[in-house]
Amino acid sequence: MRLRGLLSLPGVPPLLSLGGLLALWQIAAGAIGIEGLPSASSVIASLPGVLFDLESLAEIGASLQRMALGFAIAVATAIPLGLVMGRSRAVAGFFGPLLTLIYPVPKAALMPIIMLWFGVGDFSKVLVIFLGVSLPLIYHSYAGARAVDEKLVWSAMAMGMPARRRVFSIILPSALPEVMLGCRVGIAMALIVMVSSEMIARQSGVGNLLFNSLDMAQYHTVYATILVIGAIGFALDALFERVRRRLTFWGETGEETVAGGG
Amino acid sequence: MARALKLALLHLYPVALLLAAWEASVAAGLVRKILLPAPSAVFARLFELLQTAAFLEHVAQTLVRLSAGLAIATALGLALGLAAAASHPAGRMIQPLVRVLAPIPKIALYPALILILGFDHASKIALVAADAVFPILFATYHGARMVEPKLLWSARAAGTSPRACVFKIVLPAALPSILTGFRIALVISCVVVFLAEMISSTDGLGHLLIRAARAFRTVDMFVPLVTISLLGLALNALVAAGRRRLLAGYGEAR
Amino acid sequence: MIEIERLSKTFRTETGAEHAALLDISIAVPEGQFLSILGPSGCGKSTLLYIVGGFVRASSGQVRVAGRAVSGPGPDRGPVFQEFALFPWKSVTGNVIYGLLEQGVPREEAERRVAKLLEAVHLKGYENFYPKELSGGMKQRVAIARTLAYDPAILLMDEPFGSLDAHTRTLLQNELLSIWERDRKTVLFVTHSVEEAIFLSDRVFVMTASPGRQKAVIDIDLPRPRVRSELLLDRRYQETVVEIERLMENPVQ
Repeated sequence: MRLRGLLSLPGVPPLLSLGGLLALWQIAAGAIGIEGLPSASSVIASLPGVLFDLESLAEIGASLQRMALGFAIAVATAIPLGLVMGRSRAVAGFFGPLLTLIYPVPKAALMPIIMLWFGVGDFSKVLVIFLGVSLPLIYHSYAGARAVDEKLVWSAMAMGMPARRRVFSIILPSALPEVMLGCRVGIAMALIVMVSSEMIARQSGVGNLLFNSLDMAQYHTVYATILVIGAIGFALDALFERVRRRLTFWGETGEETVAGGG
Repeated sequence: MARALKLALLHLYPVALLLAAWEASVAAGLVRKILLPAPSAVFARLFELLQTAAFLEHVAQTLVRLSAGLAIATALGLALGLAAAASHPAGRMIQPLVRVLAPIPKIALYPALILILGFDHASKIALVAADAVFPILFATYHGARMVEPKLLWSARAAGTSPRACVFKIVLPAALPSILTGFRIALVISCVVVFLAEMISSTDGLGHLLIRAARAFRTVDMFVPLVTISLLGLALNALVAAGRRRLLAGYGEAR
Repeated sequence: MIEIERLSKTFRTETGAEHAALLDISIAVPEGQFLSILGPSGCGKSTLLYIVGGFVRASSGQVRVAGRAVSGPGPDRGPVFQEFALFPWKSVTGNVIYGLLEQGVPREEAERRVAKLLEAVHLKGYENFYPKELSGGMKQRVAIARTLAYDPAILLMDEPFGSLDAHTRTLLQNELLSIWERDRKTVLFVTHSVEEAIFLSDRVFVMTASPGRQKAVIDIDLPRPRVRSELLLDRRYQETVVEIERLMENPVQ
């Protein structure tokens, strides 16, 4: 009985599964015994080395900054666009096919071309992240705006609410659950695009750190950095999920959508 | 037939507009050809390359990795999704694992996969599988959970064992959902294999892009991008057609 | 044939509260009897049926079928549900033949039997149709044929005509009776319609509102075969309707 109670506490099952994964890793490393797969314990031991190395921290920090910037710009532009698309067939008819075409193109793969145009600085990196985040944001905002119950809008009209107020009082809140879901997918995409674009561009950032360590055969650093990235991903997702739930506790959204690739 | 054509045109006019504007800008000299080649140039080059064995070999490499990774992801995703839905203890073990692994950007695992599996096919296939398994797993799990219990009861009463029910009832009933997840996984696979080939590879479409970038051949940079997009669209259309055939009888269950 | 002793069922809701659905139900159903279970909505009559079918476990009490305690579903107790529960990915034939194949009947023989069954439920010619292409009445015919296919000794019918329009309902009631007259299976028939219960059955088990308890057991003494037009003018039928409707008026006691 007490074990059941323990298991039902919120953070416990993920921690247990994490522990299980680490144990599995340890066993596998021992069994496979190649240099390329160091034991979990040795990697965890080298974590402080990664986390407290000022240079690496600065790189990771810079990466996160760029990611945040790209995400913020996307939020400011993609959500309004998606909402407008949801309410206007003409706008949807124009942008929809274009977006469908761009959807299968890996945004990080545009990195070399974008660097050709805009150079190797931060602008290119932020742009790529912006592109990667925009698509899910537009899609979910569009879905959310389309799904607004017309009867709500009519009720508001009957109450004499002007169009502008309707947008903020009726449409935005109605669409909010889907928009927040889009944000959750978007933040995952931001992380993916950031890491992969840095792996491709190899200028700076955490993706570059990873492959530098790989090239220099610093295997422990590779794995430790992966753990750090994984932790960041997990933390961001959990954070956004909490924010989403608090802001939209009253709503029902579609099923979990999965971000993937880039 | 005319109506379908009309509908297609209506949907595609923005694309046509964009291509036309793009072509015109380059022709008018508004954009430097070296930075942004005209669509006509890109497609001409693509057409040219499609007739060379070397290019086709790269395409084949990409396809092989994509298919292998997707196949592994499908098998794994189906198995885990069905297990988690059908068995409570299995579900309680799988769910937290998925919760921990899903938000991690799998691309970050690529260096580790290279270390363990080497620089060639295996690490890329593993990466594709790692990314593609999640949408299939989710779709299978949710589809299986939503099966109407009375369908299961009817089968049980007719004599089907609980174990056989999973394959005879749950799987067919969840098929619409599973196919949707598969389509998402397909797009993800295209993206991931291309990126992996860009990051570290000696062949494949992604590698071709990097090679062209290093040689400053802009047209040759666009060709692989267009190719993978067309590939993705074609595969998607294939799956859609297959889906229509498989789900022919389903009706409301779609 | 069916012995139900002091059956009770409580459900635990998501919030942890307990909800008593059935309380202390006892009844014996002899072989070949058509028993209707009648009661207001939510009185637990479907739950009672599901427990006999082995789909739901009782909280306390016993259910014995042919002397053996019920431990799970089986081909001796065939269900027919209100929502039809047809396999949407199978054709009419695919649905009806399912139980036969599960029972190991060889394909040729099974197909023969399916053809006969489809004729009996007036669905000849619809063998390759899919459920989505059928009307409600046709879907229910398929459901009945599918259950009859594996020849269960007991039929468990859960408001099978509830989602059909009045006309189709009358049609199917008659069809059900004519099919039943041939084999005289034991039937448990859940309904909330007094007239349907009396028209079809040998006995009516009236339940109270939730938590469902036995309110009354009424024997239906009307002669078979039952013809609707004759019955509506029969005095005994009318009195039985009134008697049971009066019982239903005060559903709590």
